[in-house]
Amino acid sequence: MLRIEHYSKTYPGGKKAVDDLTLHVRPGEIYGFIGHNGAGKTTTLRACAGVMDFTEGTITIDGHDVKKDPVGAKRVTAFLPDNPDLYEFMKGIDYLNFIADLYDIPADQRTKDIAKYGDAFELTGNLGSPIGSYSHGMRQKLALISAFIRRPRLLILDEPFVGLDPSASHIMKGYLADLCRGGSAVFFSTHVLEVAEKLCHQIAIIKDGRLVKCGPTEQLVGDSSLEDVFLELEGDK
Amino acid sequence: MKKFFALLKVSVKSMLLSSTNSRGNSRKKAATGAGAMVLIAFLGLYMSGFYSFMLMEVLAPIHMESLVFIFMGIGALAGGLLFTTFAVKGVVFGGKDNDLLLSMPVGSTMLMASRVSAIYLENLLFSFFVLAPAGAVCAFMTQSGVGHSLLFWARLIIAVFALPLLDTALSVLFGALVAFLSAKVSRGALGQNIVMALYMAAVFWFAFNLNGMIEGLAANAMGVKESLSWAAPMLWMADGILGDWGLLLAFAACCIVPFALVVFGLGKVYRQAVTAFAARSARNDYKLSAQSASGQKKALLAKEAKRFFGTPMYFWNSGIGLIMLLAAGVAALVMQRELRMYLGLLGDALPLMPMAALVMGFCLSMCAIAAPSISLEGKYLWILREAPVGESALIWIKTGFQLLLSVPCTVVAGVCLAVALGLSPAEGGLLLLATVLFDLAHAAFGMLVGLAFPKLDAVNETVVVKQSLAVCLGMFVPMAVLGLCALLYWLGGMLSAWAAPALPLVLLSVMAAACALILVKKGPAMLRAL
Repeated sequence: MLRIEHYSKTYPGGKKAVDDLTLHVRPGEIYGFIGHNGAGKTTTLRACAGVMDFTEGTITIDGHDVKKDPVGAKRVTAFLPDNPDLYEFMKGIDYLNFIADLYDIPADQRTKDIAKYGDAFELTGNLGSPIGSYSHGMRQKLALISAFIRRPRLLILDEPFVGLDPSASHIMKGYLADLCRGGSAVFFSTHVLEVAEKLCHQIAIIKDGRLVKCGPTEQLVGDSSLEDVFLELEGDK
Repeated sequence: MKKFFALLKVSVKSMLLSSTNSRGNSRKKAATGAGAMVLIAFLGLYMSGFYSFMLMEVLAPIHMESLVFIFMGIGALAGGLLFTTFAVKGVVFGGKDNDLLLSMPVGSTMLMASRVSAIYLENLLFSFFVLAPAGAVCAFMTQSGVGHSLLFWARLIIAVFALPLLDTALSVLFGALVAFLSAKVSRGALGQNIVMALYMAAVFWFAFNLNGMIEGLAANAMGVKESLSWAAPMLWMADGILGDWGLLLAFAACCIVPFALVVFGLGKVYRQAVTAFAARSARNDYKLSAQSASGQKKALLAKEAKRFFGTPMYFWNSGIGLIMLLAAGVAALVMQRELRMYLGLLGDALPLMPMAALVMGFCLSMCAIAAPSISLEGKYLWILREAPVGESALIWIKTGFQLLLSVPCTVVAGVCLAVALGLSPAEGGLLLLATVLFDLAHAAFGMLVGLAFPKLDAVNETVVVKQSLAVCLGMFVPMAVLGLCALLYWLGGMLSAWAAPALPLVLLSVMAAACALILVKKGPAMLRAL
């Protein structure tokens, strides 16, 4: 579903944020991406989502090259940044319809999906209010709903658990699993190692822009915990 | 005081850097910021100098110079209110750094005073641009010698520094009201737009009647001055500048006391005010019904429209040119008899068509809708970047939105002016062709400078719409092009009758084509690189 081949990103000034990263996410997989602050997680996710330009390597999503066919790649992807800023001059329902229009989602399908996810995240009643009046958690939920109603082949999430209450986190995890059962894939970064360990089929650990370890969660963790593995690889233990 | 100046320095620095693009080193940013301010200063000095000259020409011979300062004082007060009331909402009450600064060991009164002082500096600049040309005109044209002493300039400087205090106090009060309405009223933007529409209607009424008022002034200047007793502080200021120290002190007190009351009064409840204005609670009574679908382009255009009409700061700063254009067209049609009589007095040889084109072009130059549209995306740019829409489609939709508003207004105003001025069908056609070409060039150029000088990290939309470099260039470069068109028309007229309109048309066509070509070739890469 997602193929990252020899991807590197150098910022103006010469700082190499990501160096020769190769990583594959297969359909039906939940793939966790962990690393310390500034390791290159967000840079990688943004490049995959087509939000950030890059010069070295190739990234393909469901067969669409992010550089050569960006619109095709974006059509099958949904991306959620760590702190999703949404148009404050719009109402919640206007934003969802705006996104649905950009993705050409038919009227009946969007009505059904907005109702389903809106009710699940307890946000339907608030959809008539301007986004400017939403709390951080409500914005996070709205952004999640806008991602789920696209029925993406690949869902890219940057720190999705930040700002969500435990109930919403639980619901989100359920929907992520549903999405994968339908043949889609999820690629997300997190600092919550316990969640990554329980939720992910595969995990990749990145350090200073380089992939230091990746593989199925059980193999990677072995008899210890993900926290131990992570701290050992980071050299903190 | 050390803390106050540190906070003030931050506000002033952010104001200076606000007109620059997001990239480049701080020295370059400060230089381009200063350049933009010089450009605005030049325009302010020119416009107030022009009106002061018109008034002084009539009033100096009857020794009523004070009326010039009264009118300019009222103008500075009204203009300052117009420019800073909405800025107060963003800068004083809606700063992004509110949480950070309020959590610091700094008194809320001091924090508010530092931000209000930044607004004061903006008003001070405006007050200077309006009163200084009036003083210079007075010194050159007075027949009673009032402008020739150093003390006159000393009194003028006191007035220049005092007037913005009153302006700032009123701006803060109105700004607080606007912030309150935005937070508490569900259709806050509509309310603000109605208030601004009433304000603009008053300004237009005043502008359209200015000539008649100036003619009437000479006959009854004293009566006019007496009728302005409702603006007593302005009368004191004018008489004070002209020599009455007592009235000047009374005026200064009239400015200092409200400013101090506002700063210390609101400063005491600043934390509560910021909290109340920020706390908009979402309603929980929405019932989901069947939704309808529309296409990508329609959705993107609707989003641009929602932002434009739903953001009073954007609408009134970038749409004012179109409102002026329509007002001028309709007023010319309604008052065509008076207009033709007035033009008849000036002679038959007036080049009405190019004059009308210049007026329309001037109004259109102020319609900088595309120029700030990229910067206004700011923190929301990720939404468009991750959407399955090509960069060129995004660019053309933003450019097209400006054209969607400007071309119909141009056609309506052009037809009104052509009828009112009695232009022949050929001249009317040329007028429409020239102004529509100008529309195309202006929109494409605005988009280009918006991409080249983005301000994606602006604290609020006020900074983008009022002070960004892209907006300044998007307004003043087309004005310079208009000047070039006038020059080409004059030069062409010396060659042949057809060359006069042809040369400006060629210039506008080349500019429109060049900007469009650069947008097609480089635009997507420029957008991607942001």
